[in-house]
Amino acid sequence: MGEPQIDLCLKCEELLQPYLDRELNAEELLEAERHLDECGFCRKRYRFEEHLRKYVRQVVDEPMDPALKARLAALRTPLV
Amino acid sequence: MTLLLASPDVSEETIDSVAARRIAAEARDRVRFEEEALGLSDQVYRVARRLVSSKEEAEDLVQDTYARAFRSWRSYTPGTNLRAWLLRILTNLNIDRGRRSQRAPDTQPLEEGDYFLYNKLEETTADGNQDEERVVERLSQDSIVEALAAVPHNFRDVIVLVDIGDFTYADAAQILDIPVGTVMSRLHRGRRILKSELATSAVGGGD
Repeated sequence: MGEPQIDLCLKCEELLQPYLDRELNAEELLEAERHLDECGFCRKRYRFEEHLRKYVRQVVDEPMDPALKARLAALRTPLV
Repeated sequence: MTLLLASPDVSEETIDSVAARRIAAEARDRVRFEEEALGLSDQVYRVARRLVSSKEEAEDLVQDTYARAFRSWRSYTPGTNLRAWLLRILTNLNIDRGRRSQRAPDTQPLEEGDYFLYNKLEETTADGNQDEERVVERLSQDSIVEALAAVPHNFRDVIVLVDIGDFTYADAAQILDIPVGTVMSRLHRGRRILKSELATSAVGGGD
């Protein structure tokens, strides 16, 4: 792990969330990516966060019961 | 309509056919709306399932949401985000049902830092140099489901909408009727709580 640059890493922590959520503007995005290029410490954490979110999303997914889908379809206004 | 009535050329039949066309057009719009909404039901359910604690609750909530949506379809503006519109109904119904008793204040005791879970997972891995993907996969499905359910409602709602529902901050803000800044701060805090829950439930027992 590279020596973390504390100031930048605090900044990075602030940018981490919107970066992963794709909510940064162009300028902030550039700033975040420039820092990630330079800091192995943050890069590792970013990758971890990214995988964690993907993984959580995957494992908590529970498909809808087809019976519910049929009940929803039955709520439609009948065609005269 | 007054003009039409005043004109001697316009027969009763024409007026009827104008009304009939209007009714037909409205029926078409309604069918289109209903089909479009039904096409989103899997995605709506996916979010609902994690907003409430049981499958039955989620199913009831989704069914009530669609019943209400089909009743008030005219208040939907075509071309806007229908999925967000449906989720707005759903979260309001959820609040109406009084399932907010566990609502926690925005100030929570200070959780462990962002890196706590990572360090904990890495620590308990035999080969400390595994890549991040492998490290994450040490968490079991059950422990993740449990950890997410343990996050207080107002933090969990934003996590579910943004991370599972893939909504933007702006959409989540609109759905929950809170400012975007609050979405961001609850996300940040909520994810920290989630990670700290994961760290305790998944690896905290110490192996």
